[in-house]
Amino acid sequence: MDVFVSRSGGLAGLRLTWHVRVDEQPDADDWFLLIEQIPWNEMPPEPAEPDRFTWDIRCEAPQTDGATHPDGATQAAGATQAAAPAPPAAEVQEATLAERQLTGPWRRLVDRVQETAEPQRAAPGSGRT
Amino acid sequence: MQTIVPPYLLDRIAEAADPRFPLAADAARRALLREPPARVGPLILPDEPDQPSALPDAPSTPDRRISDAQGRETLPGRLVRREGERDTGDEAVDDAYDGLGDTHRLFDRVFGRDSIDGAGMPLEATVHFGRAYDNAFWDGERMVFGDGDGEVFRGFTDSLSVIGHELAHGVTEHTARLRYQGQSGALNEHVSDAFGALVEQYALGQDATAASWLIGEGIFTDEVQGRALRSMLEPGTAYDDDVLGRDPQPAHMRDYIETDQDNGGVHLNSGIPNRAFALAARQIDGFAWESVGRVWYDTLTSGNLDENATFEQFAAETVRQAEHRFGAGSGEAAAIREGWQQVGVPTAE
Ligand SMILES: [Zn+2]
Repeated sequence: MDVFVSRSGGLAGLRLTWHVRVDEQPDADDWFLLIEQIPWNEMPPEPAEPDRFTWDIRCEAPQTDGATHPDGATQAAGATQAAAPAPPAAEVQEATLAERQLTGPWRRLVDRVQETAEPQRAAPGSGRT
Repeated sequence: MQTIVPPYLLDRIAEAADPRFPLAADAARRALLREPPARVGPLILPDEPDQPSALPDAPSTPDRRISDAQGRETLPGRLVRREGERDTGDEAVDDAYDGLGDTHRLFDRVFGRDSIDGAGMPLEATVHFGRAYDNAFWDGERMVFGDGDGEVFRGFTDSLSVIGHELAHGVTEHTARLRYQGQSGALNEHVSDAFGALVEQYALGQDATAASWLIGEGIFTDEVQGRALRSMLEPGTAYDDDVLGRDPQPAHMRDYIETDQDNGGVHLNSGIPNRAFALAARQIDGFAWESVGRVWYDTLTSGNLDENATFEQFAAETVRQAEHRFGAGSGEAAAIREGWQQVGVPTAE
């Protein structure tokens, strides 16, 4: 599980990003519990507040072998690599929040990410997907 | 990719901070006050009865209310200075109070607009918002200023153009209501930069040639290789720093940045109209608030601008307003047309 946080906008228009590999954290279980509390689909769009930060929060969970290949199938597929299905896409949950929406579990997650990872400067405008 | 001191974690990692960034000395605060005004503008007679004379030291009557968030992110915070009350000794409070006064004076004395709504509404600001908060913003009701992390950014009340920028967002919200997304959002940003720059020029009595055309001069600590957040005259040249990178603003339509970030790059693409404005002002010369300032204010309040206005539509309206105010064959109208042309925004004719 990977958590990505991006803070864009602001008067200066500078962008910062943070990235945490949850599986490498000593308290990974706490992270999973916190992420489970995130209300991903309950953020209505907010009217923009000029110069206020915008937050993008994304969690990516690569699907585990156990979940994608039934027992025994993995070994069987090993012999016929070409016929095996392509690796499954990561499960992604993502939300964009106005800063004033950054409350409750969202705020706790962002605080935790900022305590854990150093921010990286990202080129403004480079976030097009 | 390089790292900077995380804004929210200053105290925890202060010891480990990059040696390049010792906590900024508290000296040399408000850059604007370092030098006396270059010259005081002459009394310029109004050309319309509803626009009083543009004498920079003429008083206006704002109703200012400064609150202190005391390091929290809760608004409005505690009210600490009302109109007419003396200096508090808290630099952020007093700088905000003075900056709002300077901004009110420009809008009132030059454009005949009493406060954000034109009807004397109180000017409300909150300072000391958040912990090491690297930003200032307009929340629809008030201007909010962070103290900065002290490593890259000083306090955001240190720059008069930033205070003017935030207040101008309120004026735009009460007039043209330019939607804060894409080109109309970049125009919203541009209008705030333009009036932010004019507030500074008016307070200093600077003409268009003497003006720096910088937004947020004095916002960076001495450790940052940069003059300001933005340059209206030369977008893309305000800073070039190991940590912050290079000022990414485009100066011409051919370099317009398409992005999903920052409401569609509103703080990036504003460089294009910013340069058109500064070029026109310098071409006309004299006090910019008397020439392009009046035209831009007319444009904002014309009622002709769509909330989703594009650069081209906005430019066409400035030309129309310049012709109306100064005459179709005027040097002002020609300079404004030429300014837009130089940044690759076509205007009709
Ligand atoms: Zn702005």
